[in-house]
Amino acid sequence: MFEYSFMQNAFVAGTIVSIVAGVIGTFVVARNYAFLTHSLSEIGFAGAAFGLWIGWPALLGMMVATVASSVAIGALESTYTKRDNVTSAISALAIGLGILFLALGHTSSSAATGILFGSVLGISHHDLYLLLVLAAIVLVTLLFNYRTLRQLSFDEQGMFMQTRRQQGVRYVFLVMIALSVSISSQLVGSLLIFVLVTLPAASAKYYATTTVQLMGMAIIFALFGTWVGLSVAYLTELPTSFFIAIIEVLIYLGSVWQFKRKA
Amino acid sequence: MNAIIETHQLTIRYGDRAIASEINVDVPAGSFYAILGENGAGKTTFIKTILGQHHNYVGNLNVTTKSIGFVPQFRDISRDYPLSVAEFVGLAFNSGWHLFNNRSEKVAIHKALQKMDLVNIADQRLGLISGGQRQRAFVAQALVKQPELLILDESTASLDHEHKRQLLTAIVRLQKETGLTVLFITHELTLVSDFADGFLLFDAGNVTQGNAQALKKITVDMTLTHPENEVHYV
Repeated sequence: MFEYSFMQNAFVAGTIVSIVAGVIGTFVVARNYAFLTHSLSEIGFAGAAFGLWIGWPALLGMMVATVASSVAIGALESTYTKRDNVTSAISALAIGLGILFLALGHTSSSAATGILFGSVLGISHHDLYLLLVLAAIVLVTLLFNYRTLRQLSFDEQGMFMQTRRQQGVRYVFLVMIALSVSISSQLVGSLLIFVLVTLPAASAKYYATTTVQLMGMAIIFALFGTWVGLSVAYLTELPTSFFIAIIEVLIYLGSVWQFKRKA
Repeated sequence: MNAIIETHQLTIRYGDRAIASEINVDVPAGSFYAILGENGAGKTTFIKTILGQHHNYVGNLNVTTKSIGFVPQFRDISRDYPLSVAEFVGLAFNSGWHLFNNRSEKVAIHKALQKMDLVNIADQRLGLISGGQRQRAFVAQALVKQPELLILDESTASLDHEHKRQLLTAIVRLQKETGLTVLFITHELTLVSDFADGFLLFDAGNVTQGNAQALKKITVDMTLTHPENEVHYV
């Protein structure tokens, strides 16, 4: 199957996305941002539809919408509002707007399903470069703030006497989630963002005991699902996202099961 | 002895309301002080003021050290919390970007684990150890940067009698051996009166300072008025 350039591109894209998703997912799961992440993908859908309507690339529209919303959610949650409720409100608005923009833009239904379910086999060479740049930005930024982000995610209550820079890391993290969501949706679509960002890290949680181990295992689980998913999809001619979703869910359920048995 | 915390006519406010007025206290360096008072009396806000997280006050507050370890009252650690005890203790090294702990950080983590008698469970998951061990891990994290001042916010509240004493004994041993100053917020008079060198009592907007004898006396008085309770609440 590697004789086809679309399959080569799909594997390279899948690898990049899995690495980013595994790393960011570790902190997303630790900080209980799973719901926020899912909502950002819905917001990303609205952004992509908006982008298509005004003639931007879908990815750009997605990035603008998710980054803006994540900062808004971050600002709102620091007051007395419950984060989940704010997030629900913003994502409800986003899906509504997404439907409106799709209608206004007379966008074909294939473009819409592409955004929602991913179109990994349609990734071009040019898309790959863009993915690579975005992935590098996310990974370098996370690494640069690694120690602060680690305590913020795994033990926020223990973080007292914060410097201004450390407080800023909350927002940096939200923006990186937004970018990761936009990147990952290229592969599995915005509806299935859980599959790569949340599930592999949530599974890794039941095996690993250090942050580096968590990131490593999350990457392995994400890569495994992506590679096997792509291969099986190629052989069966069924949707890639379906197989990746099934594999990640099975890994997750297996992890929970073995942990319950042990603990 | 030198004071590590000294206040002069310090009034701490919350909005427009003064929650503790005209506080004049000095906590000697190297001592173990109990911070007593009912819920809402301003103990935690006083501590936040010392930590530089609460700025709404007038008067003088002089804290002579910036090297402070703090054990907060609440922490949600679920059973599937993934990190090991050692990794959790090392979270306090929260600046920079290195993925792995360097030599001196490893040594510091090991020492903190030793102080709290956690070396043999260093690799176990924090979510799966006992409540007493978990509290000791919280204290170990606060100790890992070798602070001069250690502040604990009701760290014994959820423990049974034996584990309460175990934790306090370990902390007092450290205080005696290393000259660490300890501020211990608590409701448990009988427990703390055996260990403390003095106390600050927050009551109806006033703060009184007293020594170990005064603390024992209050404890006895409370025991006489409430003989039915083994643990006494001020």
